[in-house]
Amino acid sequence: MNPVSALGRSIIAWVEALGGYLSFVARGFGSGFLPPYRVRLLLKQMHFVGVQSLTIVMITGLFTGMVFAIQAEIGFSQFGANGLIGGIVALSLTRELSPVLTALMVNGRVGSSMAAELGTMRVTEQVDALESMAVDPLQYLVAPRVLAAMVMLPALNMVFNLVGLGGCWFVAVKQLRVPEGGFWERIWWFVDADDIVGGCFKAAVFGFILASVGCYRGYTTRGGAEGVGRATTSAVVISGVLILTSDYFLTRILAPLSVG
Amino acid sequence: MRSADAAERPGIHLVDVRKAFGEQQVLDGVTLEVPRGKITVVIGRSGTGKSVLLKHVMGLLRPDSGAVRVGDEDLSSLGARALRQVRFRFGVVFQHAALFDSMDVFENVAFPLREHGMVRTSSGRDRRMREPEIRARVEQLLRSVGLEGAGLKPVDALSGGMRKRVGLARALVRDPEFLLYDEPTTGLDPIMTAQIDNLIRSTQDENPGITSLVISHDMQATFRIADHIAMLHKGQVQLRGSPAEFQSSVDPIVRQFVEGRVDPPTES
Repeated sequence: MNPVSALGRSIIAWVEALGGYLSFVARGFGSGFLPPYRVRLLLKQMHFVGVQSLTIVMITGLFTGMVFAIQAEIGFSQFGANGLIGGIVALSLTRELSPVLTALMVNGRVGSSMAAELGTMRVTEQVDALESMAVDPLQYLVAPRVLAAMVMLPALNMVFNLVGLGGCWFVAVKQLRVPEGGFWERIWWFVDADDIVGGCFKAAVFGFILASVGCYRGYTTRGGAEGVGRATTSAVVISGVLILTSDYFLTRILAPLSVG
Repeated sequence: MRSADAAERPGIHLVDVRKAFGEQQVLDGVTLEVPRGKITVVIGRSGTGKSVLLKHVMGLLRPDSGAVRVGDEDLSSLGARALRQVRFRFGVVFQHAALFDSMDVFENVAFPLREHGMVRTSSGRDRRMREPEIRARVEQLLRSVGLEGAGLKPVDALSGGMRKRVGLARALVRDPEFLLYDEPTTGLDPIMTAQIDNLIRSTQDENPGITSLVISHDMQATFRIADHIAMLHKGQVQLRGSPAEFQSSVDPIVRQFVEGRVDPPTES
């Protein structure tokens, strides 16, 4: 095959995949707002996405806050501004680190699991079985997962913020002897509600991305165990890349809100 | 036009159904009548389009051309919602049972009832089935497939034969009009195969209103259960007839399949 037609084919395949994903997402997400409402399934997914991710999010948050306190101290101590550590780390956490790192950690745990579960259901005909029983698989499988991730990611993001700040406080105040009063004061100076709301908004978008991509890759799995493996890997990679690239655009959109 | 006798009307009727995947023409003009109240077994070698045919009947695939009529409905012209209405009338037993592995046996069989189970009250209104009614119905079904007391077992603890029987109970739980089986005895030992065959036959005999369509490549099983047999070959119906007609057929392609010979005349 000549290079031009190979390029053409891969572009067509990409556009087809994008169209397939967008149509899947629209139908899957939209069906969550139509009866019958799957409240039990939604709660089950919220437990899986949120509660069961608490440990990894807290560990990641704690050490991120601690590491950033040490790194900030290296810079600020050169011009005697150690008192700013709390404010700067809090600002980085709320605006950037918490939503992105929460999403990447949850993606590794939840996005992969959604792709593997739906992929296995697809190749063992469980998805066909749902359809044959007049149950809409998108409404039954996809909508609760996507909605749960959109609700729980902002909550996990807030946990990350608090635990990260705790880690930062421990390193800065207890180990580096930053005065406690100044530490908290600078945080109130630097961080306002827009930063926190913006971070939660990002987390909700990332939750939508990781759940919808995980479900899509799983739902469209072909070819047995190998296909499930491929779907799982590609779901995590694609979501990871989309989370980081969309973060840039979200930051561009949200930045004017905070600056103004 | 044939007589309007209900039993004579086709339950499922495929008319000149064609379906291709890429370059490969899987169904190449299949016309097949599956009469009401009988077991029709579709046989054929692997890759002749038997499962594709079944997916057309379930409405999971749409034909490139031709019509798939179930009762009075032409599936190829129905939208998603209308298709779902038709599927209310189906029970499907999948090749590997396709049980939901996130649920136990009871929940699997109860699933269709919890989703769509309705009962008619004395005042003539329909209302959703209540949990005790669902429990009674599921236990009755589990008894009838010989799995009494197995309700709490997780499905991954079941043998192949038990999975098939749970699959059959799940398919029967809403009293379907059309019962579809995709290779119901594949992968089972000969004794379990005979038991499942008996179950298919007795299900049909006890529910004479059901129209059964079975996909199989097991000739012994086919002769045990079939009222009618249709053989698919190269995307078309090679022969449709009674088991006796198949046993006496002189068509070399049919003979080779029935006798399970390796030598020509059929090229793969």
